[in-house]
Parts: sequence; C-alpha cells; structure tokens
Amino acid sequence: MNRIVQGMSITEVLKTVRDADGYFVCNTARDLSQSDFKNRILLHTDLMAAEAREKAGYFALEITGGASVHVDILRKQVDPFLKLKLLREAMPNTMFQTLCRGVNLFGYRPYPQNVIRFTVKEFAKYVDVWRVFDFMNYIPNMQAVFEEVQNAGKILEPCICFSTGPEHTDDFYVSKVAEILDVTGDEIILCIKNHGGLGTPKRIGSLVSSIKDKYPDLVIHYHGHNTDGNDIGRITEAVLSGAEIVDAADHAFTGFYGPPPILSVIHTLRDYGKEAVTIDEDAVIASSDVIRDERPHYSLFESQFKGFLPTVQIHKLPGGAMGSSLEQADKGGFLEKMPDILHKELPKVQKELGNYWSVTPGSQILWTTAVSNVQGEEDDRYGNASGDLRNLLLGKYGPFPFYNPPEWIYEKVLGADWKQVLEDEGGVEDIEDMDIDKEKEILTERLGKEPTLQQLVLYLQHPNDAVEFFKFEEEFGKVYVLPPSIFLKTGGFDLGESIKFTDHLGKDHVIEIGPSQANEDGETTIYMNVDHDSRSYQMAAEQAAGAVAVVTLSKAEIEVLAKAGDYRAPFAANVCEVSVEVGQKVEEGDKLVILEAMKMQTPITSTVAGVVAEISSSVGDAMQAGDKLVKVSDGEDDE
Amino acid sequence: MPLPCPKWCFISVEQLDYKRKEMSRKRGVLLKKKILVANRGEIAVRIIRAIQELGHTAVGIYETPDTAARHIRIADEAIWIGAGPRCDYLDIDKVIKAAKNHNVDAIHPGYGFLAENPDFAQACADNDIIFIGPTAEVISRLGNKVIAREIMAEAGIPMVPGTDNLPEGDAGLQEALAFGAKYKYPIMLKATCGGGGRGIRLVESDEQLKEEYSIARSEAKAAFNDDRVYIEKVVVQPKHVEVQIIADQHGSTVHLGTRDCSIQRRNQKLVEIAPSLIEDKKLVDEICDTAVKAAQAANYTNAGTVEFLVDSDWNYYFMEINTRVQVEHTVTEMVTGIDIVRTQIKLALGKKLLFSQDDVQIRGFAIEVRINAEDPKNDFMPEGGKMVSVYRSPGGYGVRLDGFVYQGFTIPEVYDSLLVKMTVHGYTWHETVDRMRRCLKNFAISGPKTTIPFYLQIVDEPEFQSGNFDTSYIEKHPELFDYSDDHSEVNKLAHLIAEIHHKKQNTYAI
Repeated sequence: MNRIVQGMSITEVLKTVRDADGYFVCNTARDLSQSDFKNRILLHTDLMAAEAREKAGYFALEITGGASVHVDILRKQVDPFLKLKLLREAMPNTMFQTLCRGVNLFGYRPYPQNVIRFTVKEFAKYVDVWRVFDFMNYIPNMQAVFEEVQNAGKILEPCICFSTGPEHTDDFYVSKVAEILDVTGDEIILCIKNHGGLGTPKRIGSLVSSIKDKYPDLVIHYHGHNTDGNDIGRITEAVLSGAEIVDAADHAFTGFYGPPPILSVIHTLRDYGKEAVTIDEDAVIASSDVIRDERPHYSLFESQFKGFLPTVQIHKLPGGAMGSSLEQADKGGFLEKMPDILHKELPKVQKELGNYWSVTPGSQILWTTAVSNVQGEEDDRYGNASGDLRNLLLGKYGPFPFYNPPEWIYEKVLGADWKQVLEDEGGVEDIEDMDIDKEKEILTERLGKEPTLQQLVLYLQHPNDAVEFFKFEEEFGKVYVLPPSIFLKTGGFDLGESIKFTDHLGKDHVIEIGPSQANEDGETTIYMNVDHDSRSYQMAAEQAAGAVAVVTLSKAEIEVLAKAGDYRAPFAANVCEVSVEVGQKVEEGDKLVILEAMKMQTPITSTVAGVVAEISSSVGDAMQAGDKLVKVSDGEDDE
Repeated sequence: MPLPCPKWCFISVEQLDYKRKEMSRKRGVLLKKKILVANRGEIAVRIIRAIQELGHTAVGIYETPDTAARHIRIADEAIWIGAGPRCDYLDIDKVIKAAKNHNVDAIHPGYGFLAENPDFAQACADNDIIFIGPTAEVISRLGNKVIAREIMAEAGIPMVPGTDNLPEGDAGLQEALAFGAKYKYPIMLKATCGGGGRGIRLVESDEQLKEEYSIARSEAKAAFNDDRVYIEKVVVQPKHVEVQIIADQHGSTVHLGTRDCSIQRRNQKLVEIAPSLIEDKKLVDEICDTAVKAAQAANYTNAGTVEFLVDSDWNYYFMEINTRVQVEHTVTEMVTGIDIVRTQIKLALGKKLLFSQDDVQIRGFAIEVRINAEDPKNDFMPEGGKMVSVYRSPGGYGVRLDGFVYQGFTIPEVYDSLLVKMTVHGYTWHETVDRMRRCLKNFAISGPKTTIPFYLQIVDEPEFQSGNFDTSYIEKHPELFDYSDDHSEVNKLAHLIAEIHHKKQNTYAI
C-alpha cells in the first residue's frame, strides 16, 4: 500500500484514498492542543514526537490553524511559520493540515479579500491540506480561500459543519454538499465537521450514507470530538458508512474535549474488518511514549472540569471552545453558574438565534450572549449585546440558515427602529481591500526595520499581538527551544537547580539558579550562572497590592456616568480602536471606542451630542471595569 | 616598650617554633607585637592579614561611617576614633592617642590618609612607636617634589626638564613663561606638595599659563596648605613605569622589578601590570638599577616606589618616589612571590632583608584591576550609598582578591569607591589576559554599578592584548565605553528564565 506523502498531487492523493482497502487516519494534534490544553502544546513537544509521527503513516498531521496561529504568537511565543518550517524539516513526508475559518481565516472576524489571499498564499508554502469551514455554512464566505488553495495546488477540504436539531436533516446537508461542489469541482475532500461531537453513531452513519448515496466518489473525511466519550462510535459508523479518513490523536495526551485516541479507533474498526492503511502501530505507540512525560508540565492548561461531558448534546459547545470557556468562567468567578449557562441558557439562546452551528466565531457569540444573559438582570436578556451579536443579527456573517431570531431580540439589540436599521445596514457587505503597502509601512515603523512577508501576514491578522511577539523575540530570543518544564514552570525554580537546553543554533547551555535579592526599592536581582558565567538580571519592582487605588464601579454607576458623557469600560477589556480625537464633535450614537474581550468586539457609542473633551485610553490598553475611556462634554463650556 | 630583635630571628622554622614556645613559656608573649593599622578599606584588611600571619596582634581604628566595615571585624582589637568622615583618620593626635591607649608597638599607615605625612611618622617616633615606612625625614624630603628633584639631580638620575619652586608673584609667572618658551608647550604646572594625581595642571600656551598660574597657586594652598608650585615639561603620551624598592635599615636595597601603570584616567590608575611589557631587557634592567640608585640617594628604608615616565623613544625620566605601600603592590607580589607588606613589617621591626637582588626572580605576568563602585559611562560617578545586594567573586588558579565588601554591605558615600582589587597571575601575558577575562566574567556584584564591564572591554581590546598602550590609552579608545548588555541568544533565554523564576510563572505564556 502506497503511503500518501507530501508533494503528491491532489489527483494522486484522491486516487490513493479511493483505491485503498481501508481508511486513513489524520493525527489532529492541533485540535487536541486547542481542545484539551488551551492551545499550549509547545513546538518543543511536537518536535519530540516528530520522528515517530513521521513514521506512523498518517494521512496528514493537523498542526496549525484554528486558534493556534494566534496562540502561537500570543502565548507560545513562537513564529507560526518557523514552527511549520522546523516541523517540515523533521517530518519531510507527512502532509500538514490546517483548519481555516473561511473569511475569518485564523481570527474571529472577516478579513478583506486581499488579506485572505495573501495569507493563504504564504501559509500554502507549508500547508498541504486546507480544511475550510464557515460557521453559517455559508459557501460564499469560503470562496476566496477555496480559490487561493486551489491556485496554490494544495488539497482543498471544504467542510459542512454539523449540528443536531429538527432542521439538521440529511437532505439539508446533502444540499450543502451540492452547493460546495458547484463552487469547487470534484477534486476535493469533503469534511464533515462535527466540532461538538454531536449526534449518535447512528446519526453520523446515516449522514455519511446519504452523502455517499448521492456522491459515491466523493472522499469523506470525518472530524469529531470526544466530548461525550462516544466519538469512537461515531467514527466507526462513519467508516462503515463509507468515510475514508478519520481524525484522532496521540493517546498520551488525549483528554475529554478533543479527539479520541488513534489506537482505540484502529482496534475498534479492526473488529469490523476495516484496516487503517499505511499506519505503523508501533510508531503510533512510540509517539505517545516519547512525549508522555511532558504532559504533567501542561497540567495548568488542562480543563477545570475533569471527565467527559455528555451534556455537550444539550449545550453544543465545540471541543475547541470548552477549555477557554471554562477558563473564562474560572477567572471571571462564575464557575458555579456553568451548569445554568451550559444546560439552560445556552440551548435557549441557540434556538432563539436560529440554531446555527456553534463553532468559531459563532460559538463565541452564543457563549458571550448566554453568559451576559445569566450575569445580567433577569428581565434584561440580550440587554448587553456584543458588537458581534449585532453584526450577526444584521446578517454580516451571512443569512441565518433555517429561520431568523424572533423580532423582540432584533428590537432589543438593534433598538426600536430595528427594521430601519436592518434595512440600512443589513446584509453581508464586501469588506474593502486593505492597503497592504501602507500597513507594511506602519509595521516597518513599529518594528524599526523592514518586516518579512511572513511577519506582515501575522501583523495583518493580529496587529498588536504580532508586534508584541516580534518585540518579545527580539528581547528573549527563540524560546521554542525551551521544554514545557522550563517555559511553563510555575512556582519558581529551586535554588541551585540546573536547567539545560539547546538553543536554536544547536548549542547546549546550562543555567544554574542562584539567589534572588530585593533592594529597598523593591527591585529584585536574580542571580544565575549562565554557562558557568555569573550573571544577574534586574527585575522591576512589582506593584504592591493596594498601591493603585482600584476604582470599582457598579454597572449602574457606569451607566449613570455615561449619561453625563463620562464613558467607562463596562467590563474588563482591551481597547482595540479609539475612533475619536480630542476636540472632535460627536453626535448621539457615534462610535467612541471599540473594546475587545474574549475575542468579541463591543463598540462604546456616545449617548450625548457634544465634543470629545478627554481621551484616557489608547489602542492596546487593558481596561478594568470602571476605567476611564473617553469624556464627552456637552460643548457649551468654553473652558 | 619595643623589644630588641633577638639574634636567632633568622634560624630555621623548627628551631624558631621551639624557641618561640620556650620564650612564651618563660616570658609570656614577648615576641608578639601589637600593630595598629591607621587605615580603612581593602588596604587595612591586607595589612591586618599580614600582621596576623606574623603572629602579631592587629589593631584597627574606625570612624563612625565605617562601623560596619570588614576591617574592624577581622582586626583583633578595634578602636573608634571619632565621628569622621575622613577627618579622624587624618587626625595625627587621635591616632597616636588610640595607639598609646592600647599599648601599640608599631603603626602601619597603608596608603592615603597619613601614609605620606612626615608629621605622622615623626609623631610615631616621638611616642616610641615604630612607624612602618621610611623615616619622617625621608618622607618629608621626597614628599617635596623640588627637594626630591634636587636629590635625584645630584645622583645623576635622568629627569624631565623642570624648574625649582617658582618664586612668588609675577617673578614666578615670568620664570614659568620663560620655561615654556625654552622647552615648548605643553608643560605641567605642579603643586610642590601634591601627589597621587592631585594638584597637577596641564598648560598648553602662554595665555593659559597667564590665566591659570595664580589659580594653581591658590588651589595648592587650599588643598595642601602650601601654595608652592613648579613646572615640568610634559612627556607626550608616555608609559608609566614604576619600580618597587625595598630597603632594610642595614644598608641593603633591592628592587622587585617593574610595574606598568599606564592605563589611567585623569592620572588615576585603573589597571596595573607587573612586570612592564617593555621588551628591551637591558632598558628594564637600567631602569631598575636607576631606581635602586635613587632610593639609595634618598637614604630610603622600607618599601617604596620609584616612578618613571618612558617616552616613545624609550627615554625614561624620574618622576617621584612614593614613600608608602602602593595600591598596586599586589602585582609585584604575584610575580616575585615576595610578601611586601609582611616584609615591610619585619624591616620596620629592625630585621634584615631575607633575600638579595639575585634572589628576586620575576615569573610570568600579573594584572590588577581596581573594581570600583562607579559608573564608567557616567564619568566614573561613584555609586556610594548603595547596598551590595549580591556579591559573588571568582576563584580558581592564579586569582587573588583584596577586598573588603560583603553581601549586604552598604558602601559609605564618604570614602573612596574601591570595592575590591582583583589580581590575576599567569605564565604568559596572554594567559594572564585570558584569566583576567574569565575572572571578570565570574564576578557578580549587584546593587552598585561597577567598573567590571569596562575592564571586560579592555581585556578584549586588541592593543591592550598586544601590550601596546601608554597613558593616553583610555583617551584613545572611547569605544571602551560602548558596552551594553549581552545580546547573545543564551543571555536572552536566560533573561526569560530569570523572569519565569522571579514571577513564579511565565507571564508571556499564561
């Protein structure tokens, strides 16, 4: 049996899959990292596993995409392109797979066409299989990516996002497949994207059969999550019904919300007479053995909830969003409200908002809305709508697939004259192309040197985070060489502890931890032996608790202040745009600033007409609830 | 009461030990002297060590700002002499009174403070206390630059052209102008009682001379209570080469070879080397012999230093004789194996030199750096008042430290900023430089800024490495001040690890 290797044409790949007497396994390491470890599995660990994974004979290794590109630069401090380059060197044969959010790319909101094309082109240099989805299953949202992937000669894998409910029939999905094939042609692999791990094995079997009945030659890649502990059942039914490729992951790291273990899939299907072709089971076992000892270092990022969550069938949150949702609940102090949110409010919101597919960024809209509804006043559901919910209702993400939300929600979110607003602003709008040359100039200025194309790509997607990362790398070097035992160490090292690592140039180093000394000003000197040279590192004084008077204002107080033109952050958020300047005249309803929290943007608009008197926030600032943003005076004061 | 030196002082160790025990049994601890160290800082520690090695009792003195100083901790006795700062260490009466109250037999003055004050040496003599150094008369005569020049001229020692003390008033200025016309500028206007780089003024023209002549006099008056000045021709970009002299009271004078102290900043030595890197062996021997001759001409006893300037044509000129132990005596000790301070004490107690000139062998090279609490980038601004929060020093083969700071010590603002002298020894010049680099890197001092990064620049500078430097070295190499944090990959990563350690989590990953 011929292995599928990187560099094969799509025709060869499809032929190999179709001719195979059995099915293929895709190792979704990225999905595992995102779902069960908040995306923190480091390149160091992936490089450790590279040799065995390369030998294992997977259809592909999903190692980038989803939220990982953002987390790479934000939390792992690794260049997503360098990561792919290094992994490619370590794994020359295995195809790399990404997960792309269509028009939202690897981010959370639509990008202009030219940015999409530029980004796909750069990533296509390393990525062989492009799994592309849209949370509304709205095909036009994916079209630009489809075209660029096909232009680059890479394998396109459009998704139909799957969910459950009375509207989610086989006929509906088969019609969606037809829509896709109309656009892409036959040379694709179809992905059934069951990001929540929803439905029973029987339901999945039925779906695959229906598609195969209509399109017998269409190669189907089934993707699911093991949130309810039953994904192997669904995978089994999918393969028995004709799916050729399935997703699973290395058992040493499998958790509760991500993919199930590869070996369990293989063993189960073997009893049904189905063989995982080209898989080297010993190598699968070896991959897990080699990285097993790393897992404890990631414990900080494992779920707060231990155990499978069969209630996913009720709340439908995708595996990839479980970790971050629980993290947010934990940090926000409302972990105890999770059962209410997950099992009562979220299903209700889902139905109210049209029963679309709960996956990024749609899942975040459902989640924040549900949280806000539970946290807010009891009779004020939808009273604190995020900017993204507003955009959803306005149809910016595409039309609702089955039915529109009830009118009272439109009224609550868009205002009394919602019908007019909908008429004026509604519908998918073309996003104007970005002036990439101009953005490059801005980045050049911020970096103090000409950026590479790849740096520009990262910047266009996450401007502030990308610049922060470039500066981090300048200051701290290529930190991907540090294992999680160092990079994710908590509680400090022991005095005299020896830390060994090899830098990116291949040079071994040893650091010995010495004493720490604080001076009168609270500055601390960390003393270390670095490659047997004594060095010391100055740490700035930490702000003593209570040193800064924390002003906490209640939601009601913040609203009262807003009526007087004193706009405060209504919740903890980052400022992502300041839309006005001091002295500028504003009308009621004009946008003042845009805040971003949990990846959702919320505009703060003026409730009065007047002149901007004071701006207390700038782009990138982290605001706490009650922090000053902008002051608008009524303009009658001469002072 | 000082005791006469017993005849069997120079017998074998075993015999000595036996005799010592016997004597101790019979007559108490009569061999044991009490020696007061009229100084502070590293040199006080250095002298106390020698006193204690000899089996004598070391007495320290201190002013209030030195209450936490190391020298009084390691001294066998310590006497508070006043609130200071500096004035009590400089107060002859108080020091003598302290010595008498504690029945002190001898006083070692170290360097600075009262070390070259003939009144102090005389006060010791007047009070039956042995002054560890030359006699008051020798100090006095050599301390007066003009008399010193006279002595040397008589002995035929080559000297930079210069004048006697200039007469007061306009006559002095006229004589100075005439000198300028004859020998050409630049010339040096020097306070007769100055020294150690103080009271010196470079003059480059008639105009400047006219302008600054009276200022120089009034400055000399203010600083040394003596307004006499004289002139010397400036030797342009000379090497500073000095010879360690040691002479007993029995007519034996030997030299311990040369030192090069060319690396200076505003006449303050920073790096000292033994022996000088002058390759012409004959010239070096000649300079050393001249130094012995100069010392003998001055009736010199005990340890002293004869300083010379060597110009680019290898002419050498006598500059002055320092009548004290020098900061940089350590480099000579390293290359000769002779403990100068121990010898000083023994000679002052009347003993004969244990070695002849032929016994003195120079082996390898030694470099000393003065690690000061100063910010080289900020004009060597002292960092006094800061606490030394981390102090880790190097060790290993060929390294010697003469310091007095300890972790937790707050550097007094009222004294000099020397923290520790590091002297390294090696078989070859390059080995010595390599060792110096390694040892500088092994140092970790936090709290005050130090001169360590500046010295690291010097040891990596090619001219220094090739031994090619003179007194203009620092001036000619402004790039030495262009040091910054280490940008190596490992340092960057270590920085992150330090943050992860300090903050108890990686705030860039959480």
